[in-house]
Amino acid sequence: MATLLSSSFRRAIADVARGNNVTSIRSRIDGVPSYSSMAVRSRLASSSSSSSSSLSTPPSFAELFNPTDDHRALRESVRSFAARELEPQALSYNRNEKFNVDLFRKFGSRDDGLGILGLTVPVIYGGTGMNDATSVSIVHEELSYSDPSLCLSYLAHSILFANNLAANGSKEQLAKFLPGVCDGSKICGMCMSEPNAGTDVLGMRTRASYDESRDGYVINGTKMWITNGTITGDETGDMYLVYARTGEDRGDITQFIVEGGTSGFTVGQKINDKLGMRSSPTAELVFEDVFVPSRTHLVGELNGATLCMMRNLEIERVALAAMAVGIARRALDEMIRYASSRPAFGRPNLYGFGQIQRHISESYAEYMAGKAYLYGFANGLDLTSCGNGLDADGVKLYCARMAKDVSDRAIQVMGGYGYVGEYTVERLWRDSKLLEIGGGTNESHHKNMSRDLLRLSGNGLE
Amino acid sequence: MKILVPIKRVIDYAIKIRVDPTKGARGVQLSNVKMSMNPFCEIAIEEAIRLKEKTKTSAEVVAVSIGPKQCTETLRTALAMGADRGIHIETKADVRGDYVDMQPWGIATLLKGVVEREGGVDLVLLGKQSIDSDCGQTGTLLAGLLNAPQATFASKVDRGDDGSFTVERETDSGTEVIKIKPTTLPAIITCDLRLNTPRYPTMPNIMKAKKKPVETISLEAMVQELGLNLDEVLSRKNEVVEVYEPPPRKEGEMVGDVMELLAKLKEKGLVA
Repeated sequence: MATLLSSSFRRAIADVARGNNVTSIRSRIDGVPSYSSMAVRSRLASSSSSSSSSLSTPPSFAELFNPTDDHRALRESVRSFAARELEPQALSYNRNEKFNVDLFRKFGSRDDGLGILGLTVPVIYGGTGMNDATSVSIVHEELSYSDPSLCLSYLAHSILFANNLAANGSKEQLAKFLPGVCDGSKICGMCMSEPNAGTDVLGMRTRASYDESRDGYVINGTKMWITNGTITGDETGDMYLVYARTGEDRGDITQFIVEGGTSGFTVGQKINDKLGMRSSPTAELVFEDVFVPSRTHLVGELNGATLCMMRNLEIERVALAAMAVGIARRALDEMIRYASSRPAFGRPNLYGFGQIQRHISESYAEYMAGKAYLYGFANGLDLTSCGNGLDADGVKLYCARMAKDVSDRAIQVMGGYGYVGEYTVERLWRDSKLLEIGGGTNESHHKNMSRDLLRLSGNGLE
Repeated sequence: MKILVPIKRVIDYAIKIRVDPTKGARGVQLSNVKMSMNPFCEIAIEEAIRLKEKTKTSAEVVAVSIGPKQCTETLRTALAMGADRGIHIETKADVRGDYVDMQPWGIATLLKGVVEREGGVDLVLLGKQSIDSDCGQTGTLLAGLLNAPQATFASKVDRGDDGSFTVERETDSGTEVIKIKPTTLPAIITCDLRLNTPRYPTMPNIMKAKKKPVETISLEAMVQELGLNLDEVLSRKNEVVEVYEPPPRKEGEMVGDVMELLAKLKEKGLVA
């Protein structure tokens, strides 16, 4: 009985975790409930149901989703950070298409920040040193539960830039560029797509020409849909990995570091009015005779970036699939909670209605299928290898669609409430659509996967 | 300066408690339930780290936890927040810490032993209570057993250069300031909610914490080492008879008008 007495404390602390200000919590502990905390409490209370047994899944899932103690610690740490920091700001920043720079920098290691901007980067360069696809998946799933859009900016910075450079750069480049990337003082991204080259990535036309007199390259061209392309709206971000054509063959692509402020490197336009991912800034970036020195700014081998690109696309797709899983888990939580507290036709909740049962149960099964596929693949993926495209494409193809379907059902279960921003699920639905386009369109996955499966040449799958 | 911080692993504050009515006093479900550090213990750890950060001389923060194997996770959290080392007194998996099996008397007896075993402890910082059993007895019992000076429900703690502690406590009649003079015994201070806001462990600190030492010793071995009696440590001074969920709120009654309402209230004896 004593155990139950502290439930008021639990709720009070839960409010703190949900970002209510401390004064209101304290006033409530003193017996004076504040309006805002009561609203939270009534929303929380709606999660209660008459069942007294807790959900039980086999321990094999716990091992699949958190294979080691480090992974469990990472998930708990990011989850509590997301609840405390991401959740309270997501609605307003997405509604107003504003990038939360201050919060983004808290992902960095500076000023006792969370320390995940260099998640896969070795510790000696300022990173966290968790260089495995499972850690990447855990962070993206947990951040997307609260704010997929801010997570997308995190992905561009930590995977597309930091992980790529750590995997392909020289020791000198890592030591020179990565500490500021990991601590949060620099905000970075990657430039691959162009206005007329998306899925057909090797059709890119941005060119880097060698200038012997300066031992460097002069880059000309335009890059499109660049996440973190601009922070202020008129200037570029701090640093980018840029793919450019350096030879005559279709695969003669080289990767360069281009820093913000370099002469001729400008923002073509900030891309506004996106369907989703609205708190993540996107831009078109223009290169007009942008000079970069070979010794410090050319990454990897000359004409050798196609391999880097393909390898980094694999982990990018895993990360995007993990974002889809986070979106789906949130949409499920929302619809389960809503359905359990909404009375209709004289019944206390919606669980007696077959149509609702179908929405919820199919969503759960698909979510678990996607999550098991994701972690089953990620747990065995070696980030230094390549040629794992079939399942990197596969998890993203499945999970992106799954997230869109699950968030769509969440809106349907919640009816009018699901259709407005305050109830979160319409934002998840809009954000999930990007996952069928960014980091590889569904059509590019179809193309790659069917090509890989053809190679079985009649042999069975196992 | 050496600060000892006893910490407890409890059901996470955000989890809605489930009670299995067939299990009697052991009805509160612990399996498949998220467990975390008791929030008041987090506040105690945070305060210990702040005192360490403020002190000009060297200082050590030692976290100690009594409970099942998983308590090492709780100790790792304390180490990631900034404690220097951990002591885990491991109990058998089926021994419950939420008053059903282990109770404040046994815990305080063990902690007294740990204080003496450590030696040179200047301060023991504890949460004022744990959110599972809400007893609020461990700190005061420990002070009594050690015959040490204590201040409870601290909302502010300062350490003087002479080794004294100035503690503010918020009481019903106003703020009370207590000075604990330095003695050869540790000062015992229990922490209230208003004392501080605990930091969250960052990933780099979680990774660094893996290298910090945690001494794991079974309850039986510790009891023997300290020369205590296991039955006494595990003895239940009180018995939990029953645990049950709060009854669900009954549906309200609709009344037609004010007169009917008044009649109903009178009928129930709620108004004269």
